[in-house]
Amino acid sequence: MSDYDFDRVNVLLAEDSQFIRSLLTNSLKVLGVGNVFPVEHGGDAIHFLNRVKNEPMKVGVQQIDIVISNWDMHPIDGMMLLRWIRRHKDSPDRFVPFVMITSYTEPERIVQAREMGVTDILAKPFTIKNIGEKLISIIERPRQFVHTKEFFGPDRRRQKFPPKVERRVLTDKSEGVEIIRG
Amino acid sequence: MASNKPVIVRFYRFQNRLKEKTSGLAPGRASISPEALEKAEQALSKMSEDYPDWVSGLVVKLQEQHGRCVDSPELRRDCFETINHMAHDMKGQGGTFGYPLITNFADSLYGFTIQRPGDISDNQIELVKGHLDAMRAVIRGRVSGNGGEIGEKLSEGLSEAIKKYELEGEG
Repeated sequence: MSDYDFDRVNVLLAEDSQFIRSLLTNSLKVLGVGNVFPVEHGGDAIHFLNRVKNEPMKVGVQQIDIVISNWDMHPIDGMMLLRWIRRHKDSPDRFVPFVMITSYTEPERIVQAREMGVTDILAKPFTIKNIGEKLISIIERPRQFVHTKEFFGPDRRRQKFPPKVERRVLTDKSEGVEIIRG
Repeated sequence: MASNKPVIVRFYRFQNRLKEKTSGLAPGRASISPEALEKAEQALSKMSEDYPDWVSGLVVKLQEQHGRCVDSPELRRDCFETINHMAHDMKGQGGTFGYPLITNFADSLYGFTIQRPGDISDNQIELVKGHLDAMRAVIRGRVSGNGGEIGEKLSEGLSEAIKKYELEGEG
């Protein structure tokens, strides 16, 4: 088993608490992440992503690989940022993995974030191990994206159900299913 | 012909570029090197040393908000909102740096300053002070972990104050 080389990985980090921001930036860098771009809130993150799209040479990065964002920020919070990334026409990459950091761990909050297309949740308070596990999960277990009338985001069905459980499952061959590969 | 049917769901499946970027095309799972993890843990504990100072700064800011509540009742709603946001922030951090008591107290302060209809009473303002005092005691004494006896006493004192306030609220 070899070690990951995160040197070419670009992370956008939106966190309004200066202490946590420098902590996360530092931790990611020590774990070997080549580029961490810290910003103060969702609005700054959107501005940054726009620049990556429009003037990548100036920013010095072609593509953001992972977005890590706090939920509770002012004036633009993590959910608004996630919504913009997943749904806005100007979004440079609607499929980018998005990790939401939050101390809101009530189930309805988690569901809310998943409905908006979050990839993963990092609960506060977190440890270095938690951060490492999220990175590995994003790299090793990417999910297909699902686009329906009501939803756009990573497939919310991560669990493998035993075949006896009856579920409405569309297979690749079902009517009305289109597969897009890239 | 499938193409004539309306599409109800699209599945997007991409090559795992992130995997290629981080572990090349070698088959099998990679891992994060134990050395890197160890180094990151060390960096975290180094930052944890600065945490008490940082919290002290926040407590001073909370105190300013408390002072404004006392001096200018008309500003109480705004101040409570600010306090509530700061408490939410703090509650997510204490545990990471080995001060779960700060997380507990911040959580209690957060729950207690969520806006409710009606005026904010002097007792409520007093209770904010109770929380700040407890936080200060934790930081001053560098009470990490659950704080043993001191931690218990602080927590008990605070829950009693909250109970008292709630009883008054009912009466």
